[in-house]
Amino acid sequence: MNARIIEHPILGKIEKGRLVEFSYNDTKLNGYEGEPISAALKAAGVMVHRHTQKQGAPRGVFCAIGRCTDCVMVVDGKANVRTCITPLTDGMIVQTQYGVSAKNHQGAEERS
Amino acid sequence: MKRYDLIVVGAGPAGLSAAIEAAKCGLQVIVFDENANPGGQLFKQVHKFFGSKEHKAKIRGFRIGEQLLVEANQLGVQVVLNATVAGLFQDKEITVRINDGIYHYKGDTIIVATGASENATAFEGWTLPGVIGAGAAQTMMNLHGIVPGSKVLMLGSGNVGLVVSYQLLQVGCEVVALADAAPRVGGYGVHAAKLTRTGVPFYLSHTIIKAEGSDCVTGVTIGAVDKAWKLIPGTEKHFAVDTICVAVGLSPMAQILSAAGCSMEESQSKGGYVPVCDEYGETSIAGVFVAGDVSGVEEASSAMIEGRIAGIAVAEYLGFIDKTVLTQKTLELESALSTLRQGMFAIENRGKILEKTDEGYDVSLHLLQKGYLTEEEVMQYPGVTKQQGVHAVIECSQNIPCNPCQDACPKQCIKVGDNITSLPVIDEAAVCIGCGLCVAACSGQAIFLVDENYEDGYASITLPYEFLPLPAKGNAGWALDRSGQKVCKAEVVKVNTASAFDRTNLLTIKVPVEMAMKARFFKGGDCHA
Amino acid sequence: MRKINDRSRDLGAFVPADDDQMIICRCEEITKGEIRQAVHDGMFTLTEVRRYLRTGMGLCQGQTCGKLVKGIIVRELGTAPAELEPAFSRVPMRPIEMKVFANEQEVQGDE
Repeated sequence: MNARIIEHPILGKIEKGRLVEFSYNDTKLNGYEGEPISAALKAAGVMVHRHTQKQGAPRGVFCAIGRCTDCVMVVDGKANVRTCITPLTDGMIVQTQYGVSAKNHQGAEERS
Repeated sequence: MKRYDLIVVGAGPAGLSAAIEAAKCGLQVIVFDENANPGGQLFKQVHKFFGSKEHKAKIRGFRIGEQLLVEANQLGVQVVLNATVAGLFQDKEITVRINDGIYHYKGDTIIVATGASENATAFEGWTLPGVIGAGAAQTMMNLHGIVPGSKVLMLGSGNVGLVVSYQLLQVGCEVVALADAAPRVGGYGVHAAKLTRTGVPFYLSHTIIKAEGSDCVTGVTIGAVDKAWKLIPGTEKHFAVDTICVAVGLSPMAQILSAAGCSMEESQSKGGYVPVCDEYGETSIAGVFVAGDVSGVEEASSAMIEGRIAGIAVAEYLGFIDKTVLTQKTLELESALSTLRQGMFAIENRGKILEKTDEGYDVSLHLLQKGYLTEEEVMQYPGVTKQQGVHAVIECSQNIPCNPCQDACPKQCIKVGDNITSLPVIDEAAVCIGCGLCVAACSGQAIFLVDENYEDGYASITLPYEFLPLPAKGNAGWALDRSGQKVCKAEVVKVNTASAFDRTNLLTIKVPVEMAMKARFFKGGDCHA
Repeated sequence: MRKINDRSRDLGAFVPADDDQMIICRCEEITKGEIRQAVHDGMFTLTEVRRYLRTGMGLCQGQTCGKLVKGIIVRELGTAPAELEPAFSRVPMRPIEMKVFANEQEVQGDE
């Protein structure tokens, strides 16, 4: 199923900005300039945004309104960026966050 | 630092309404909102509001938001977005974070309208990606243009759970089930009914046992609970879903007030920890007022009225208007507010099991437990009559403040009366012309046009239809009854999409005459089996 | 005057439950069992549990877990929500980086 709504029965045709390319870990994805990063990721089928510090558990969008901080990722090198309220820009570098910093360690290891 | 007559924290329906009223009285107003978009939750509301004309009934939430913004703009109200109010200090000074700096502002008066945030409920697997708040689903669908998932389980049968479930159907999601640990539907019966007729099953007295999946949700198990909320073994039901939506209430975001030293109180009916305030919204800190969900969780309609009252009250506090003008202006608003707070869902009725409507009709327990009225029950209500030729059948069975149906009918066929919580009554002396305006005007989608004399052996049913793709004249399919079961073959004989209906399309189907009081929804597709 | 919890009350021994492993504070990954154990360790107020376990001190600052943690403490203490002193709220209302907090700006048109 197409994750993007093309036409909504009440809101009509959904207008989007210009299509831009951004990188997600090792791949290149497309999204619309100005939409939340999480929207572009969801459209591309990405559900896991980060792995937690203690348990290495997968987390993704929960509140979608910038309140719960479960959707945070490393964006342009900066950790703890709330992807559900941060607008996508051309050439943005989006990476899965491991733990609470921008350091990229796999799995549930000792606190960094 | 810059001084304003009024600083409003929050540009949602309450905040904007307050800013508008204060600006009308001549105050210089600035509104700060932490979000990138104004309007609070209003722009996510694609459904038509209830109430009466003064409450903006039958108008979709997002259009009301647009109206408020235009009005605020015209009055010169400054609205600053992406501006997080970090704190409220002595002498009504606030600090605001804008981009990477902190700014100080001074208000002669402050109105805090920060709204409420979604509650959470924990269950095994609730941290998996795919478990989202109902508000999150709304944000994704109605603001981001993204489908939240393909198969969804909704937890929660309050108005949020019911309304968001319908919105999920509108963007093509399959709502596999709606569950609630409570024994009865918490929201309006009409919101439940428009879901069940599409085939969504309700599981009251059920709770989520476990969300399954390794990286994200792939399934969910629910189970029945007894009166002591204990799981009943052997009642487990499993659904393959990729999304679980949680709609378990809202809590006021009043922390800025408690941090400022405001007198607070714990109130379960208001949703949590709220500021103590008077009828104008003034808190224990002189010159600091509150409006909207932050002072007690209700709805957008009441938030807007409370905002307007607070906006006028600060004008009087500062001497821009005198006490008599305050009383005169707020009298009408207080009356509008109390109208909204009447009926079956009034605060004083919460938790009570009402057996009769105000008029003495039976309140349907079946509706509250299964989400739909039975055919036998429906017949007792004053909006349901048997007549020759086309006539409206109003399946409205609860006292809710709402009357757009009355105003919609050009032939005065529908009467609600001065007390807008009354059930609508069909005046059998009036002659229905089958225009369908009532069908489109009913925010609960509870009105149908029925003509048992359409053709020899056939009846026609005109029903509200807000889905894509829109069926076309001549399409064959199935008629579903109130519970979502297929009852007979149906053919589309008319599709009406007049702009006056505001996107509530009118679908007229032809069914065997004995199905006239059963058929309530249409599903296109092949008619074999 | 805040209501005071009777610290002499005997809660009985900590009884393990099936859902002790369930995460309650999502940000700091604190489980239900840890919260219940904290009450038995002598943490009788929301503020004490917060300082003891860090529930509510993560990135979301208790926005998600606040009500849940309170409910668990209330049940473990065998008391009512109104009896518990409310969690303390302090400025800033949202997490702000120190460099931003220190970046005082002048508003145009200052008096």
